[in-house]
Amino acid sequence: MSAIAPKFKLSEFIKSLLDNIFWIVLLVSLIGIPAIQVILFYIEMPVINGELLTPFLAMTWLADPSRSLPILKAFMATDMFRVMAFPGFGFAALIAAGTIFVERKMLAKLQLRVGPFYCGKIEGILQLMGDGLKLISKEIIIPAKADKPIFWAAPVIFVATAAAFVALIPVAPGWVVADVDLGLLGVFAVIGFFPIITILSAWSANSKFPFIGGIRALFQMVSFEIPLILSLLGVVILTGTLNLSEIAASQSSFPWIIFLPVGAIVFFITMLAELERIPFDLPEAESEIVAGWLTEFSGMMYGLVQLGTYLKLYAFAGLFVVLFLGGWNGPMVVPPFPEEILTDGIVMGPITAKFPGLPLFDQQMLNGTLWFVLKTVGVIFFILLPRGVFPRIRIDMLLSLGWTKLIGLAFVNIFIALGLLYAGVLGPGGLQ
Amino acid sequence: MSSDSEKPVAKAKPEEKPTPPKPAPKPAAKAEEKPVELPAFEKGISDKLVEKFGDKIEVDFVKEDRIGIKTSKENVHDVAQFIRDDLHYDHAESVTGVDFPADNEIEVVYHLGSYTESSLARQVLTLSTRAPRESHPIPGQDSTKLPSLRDIFYSVEFGEREVFEMLGVYFDGHPDNRRLLLPEDWADLPPLRKDFAIKGR
Amino acid sequence: MTMTDIMPPGLALKKVDERIMTLNVGPQHPGSGHMRIVVQIDGDYIVACDPDPGYVHRGEEKMAEYRNYITNVPHLERPVIHDSCNVLYPYVLGAEEILGIEVPERAKYVRVICSELNRCIYTMYWLAIYGIFLGHSTMFMWPAGDRELLIDLMEKVSGARVTHAHFIPGGVRNDLPANFEDVCLRQVNYFEKRIKEYAAVFYDNPILISRTQDTGILSRENAIRYGTTGSVLRASGVDYDLRVKAPYDVYDELDVHTNVMKEGDSYARSKVPWLDMIESCNIIRQALQKMPKSGSVRTKLKPNPKTKGPATVYKRVESGRGSLGCYIVSDGKTEPYRVKMSVPSFRNLLAMPNLLIGEKLGNMPSVYWSLNYWPVEADR
Repeated sequence: MSAIAPKFKLSEFIKSLLDNIFWIVLLVSLIGIPAIQVILFYIEMPVINGELLTPFLAMTWLADPSRSLPILKAFMATDMFRVMAFPGFGFAALIAAGTIFVERKMLAKLQLRVGPFYCGKIEGILQLMGDGLKLISKEIIIPAKADKPIFWAAPVIFVATAAAFVALIPVAPGWVVADVDLGLLGVFAVIGFFPIITILSAWSANSKFPFIGGIRALFQMVSFEIPLILSLLGVVILTGTLNLSEIAASQSSFPWIIFLPVGAIVFFITMLAELERIPFDLPEAESEIVAGWLTEFSGMMYGLVQLGTYLKLYAFAGLFVVLFLGGWNGPMVVPPFPEEILTDGIVMGPITAKFPGLPLFDQQMLNGTLWFVLKTVGVIFFILLPRGVFPRIRIDMLLSLGWTKLIGLAFVNIFIALGLLYAGVLGPGGLQ
Repeated sequence: MSSDSEKPVAKAKPEEKPTPPKPAPKPAAKAEEKPVELPAFEKGISDKLVEKFGDKIEVDFVKEDRIGIKTSKENVHDVAQFIRDDLHYDHAESVTGVDFPADNEIEVVYHLGSYTESSLARQVLTLSTRAPRESHPIPGQDSTKLPSLRDIFYSVEFGEREVFEMLGVYFDGHPDNRRLLLPEDWADLPPLRKDFAIKGR
Repeated sequence: MTMTDIMPPGLALKKVDERIMTLNVGPQHPGSGHMRIVVQIDGDYIVACDPDPGYVHRGEEKMAEYRNYITNVPHLERPVIHDSCNVLYPYVLGAEEILGIEVPERAKYVRVICSELNRCIYTMYWLAIYGIFLGHSTMFMWPAGDRELLIDLMEKVSGARVTHAHFIPGGVRNDLPANFEDVCLRQVNYFEKRIKEYAAVFYDNPILISRTQDTGILSRENAIRYGTTGSVLRASGVDYDLRVKAPYDVYDELDVHTNVMKEGDSYARSKVPWLDMIESCNIIRQALQKMPKSGSVRTKLKPNPKTKGPATVYKRVESGRGSLGCYIVSDGKTEPYRVKMSVPSFRNLLAMPNLLIGEKLGNMPSVYWSLNYWPVEADR
């Protein structure tokens, strides 16, 4: 009898394993396989060996590796994949999770601590997962006098809005969820949603500290939206387009930050304020108003808001990269896909494995993604850094900063852009 | 303090005035034991007080850096006024209530100090007065009342509030006679009275 | 009829119109400590403020009446365990005076060293909370970590990390351990080097300066009128430090410099304790040098010491928060008749409502904590 599990019996352990296997098989066959079938109905299937793949055939051919790759590739071409996985939600959530981990470890090193350490053996890498599980298992407490429908909806809408923002960010040439011509206007529209959600949730909680926090968030976001929009106009003037993919593509030779450093600085500061990061975390100022507009959220509702916050963080960092740092542009560092795998397959002794359908991603896209991620991580690093260095500022200081200095600087930036345009340095006939 | 051993004490004027009866724990030793020279500076201050108020006050003790003055509750306001205006003591360090059930009185002690007058920086003047005590207190509505010194020494505000809740001494003229430390639903005796006993002790 | 009927629970704040919001800051609030501050705000401005201490009232003064002069030692240090030597100091001095105990010379120096170490330990804890109240998490972690240096020293001296109970009537409990002087000098020197680094990240931080300067200004006149003490008083331009003005034990043989700032704002109040810590390091070095290298550290006491008759004594020391007085009334028994702790937190509390009214809500934590206020001590 071990001390850890005093009632351990091998027979019961085996029985529990068998039980688990039974339930897994049952659930997969009753729910999983039909779900895959349903998904396959909506995917435009490839033609393999001269035969159009139908969902009925797909199930039989899934086991064949030579035929599973084309199906995967077909799936990757769908909008669903883009929304859920690669340039969309899944990719952003992955970067957000990495951001949280890096933030905690970096802050810990800055403050002479170790940070998360035990969970997951290696430097506490699974700490975030543990925190997520904890949040999921927590009871959700709703204030008695809250406006319940709005209160419930607020975190969901928050995440949805953050995800909509993520959808507008191009990651690699052609790899963007929503490639709209007025992409930048779309960004402004989506950013405009956040204060509304914040004030709605704060109002619906029917509690004093959330209310003060919500009012503060409203002040802060509305007053910083103006310098934010103005600081981006310089880029729009120089590129002549609002499409984010085109703006990124226009910086193939040099990023705009070289010509518009003032705009980049203004945008970075307003970004910190929109993200409610220290030193602008007034809406969540813990020593003054407990947790601001998040005070009454508990359990996974709070977790959703945090997820939305970090998605927003990624999206803003991505926007900064697209607008000022050249997006996906960068020297080609990814090696070309080895041709012999395509022609000869992989020879492993007597077995030769051929993979029709390779490569999954072309070299251009991989290289673009790599550069985009590198730059985004760099920007995120600079967004995280002030947290270890600065105290929180006060709401009146914040508002005077936003309404006077930043707006002024944003106009200076616009004049710089116009000057460059009319002097013929940039634009038609200029460098580009 | 290395040099601050027990300095004996002088009764300034053992008058025939109807001062409150002597407390059971007399706060000073008798001076008759041997005539020791009193510290001059402190003696000067106490002499000024005696000169002004005569038999209205009683000099309890004069030690190095410490002067003890006793007065009745009718005179305490005037004495405090004089101490602030003419002797330049400008703040109260603490307000202490001491319960003397044997004398049926509650003593309230103000420890006064001075920041502005540099010669008084070492000094603490102990001004004590006594209020009648009732065995069944109704705080605020019985005879256990004293004039508040809050209009003279602003710094006694919270101290007097504390004495009120801890000993039931109501301070007439205090603008804010409310609870401070005790729970809002405290319904027992004022806890620092001697008849409030700790359980098990 | 009880006290409750006369004074219904609640606050004396006036009934106000619709636009004014009443906020209960605390006792369950990250920015209040173990107390409640009821503030009324009009927009972002505080229009009324009523501090409500007492959530950690433990009746130390009542308990002291039931224990003799020696058994009072370990529980009277409880109000501020981070400053446990200093909070016990006036009681021990007073008990020595009325019990007629002489203290060996070496014990006085040990007391000075322990007292200064404790002042730094307390101030570091205070500074950590001041940092996090301003949203500066690095300033929370650094002092909390560097404080360990001195806690280790105190552990070497007394055996306990925070609640030392090291000062007793008649000296100190134990002599210093062997080789303590070298270790202490090394740790204190490193500690001083570390806290001087705080200036770069905290005290010279432009955001911090613009946030705390000119907020919560306590004028010199008001600081005296409210009877404030310690760093609050010195930050308002009053040069008053008991270690200099009324030295106890061996402080008159040491060279103590008083740090005074004229501004009287939150920034000055937050900077004076930090300057005091650097001064404490100087005092420790001096005391280590001047201390007799050997000798007794404790006068043997009779089992139940008692006074020779009725006696009163009022002693005060300069603690980490300011002047800390202890008034002992004795009636000749083995237990004191009445022990009153005149604590600096309680005295500084009076300034709080006066400073907060008219301030912005965002300044509340910085003004509140700059008063060097320790809720547990104020409640006793």
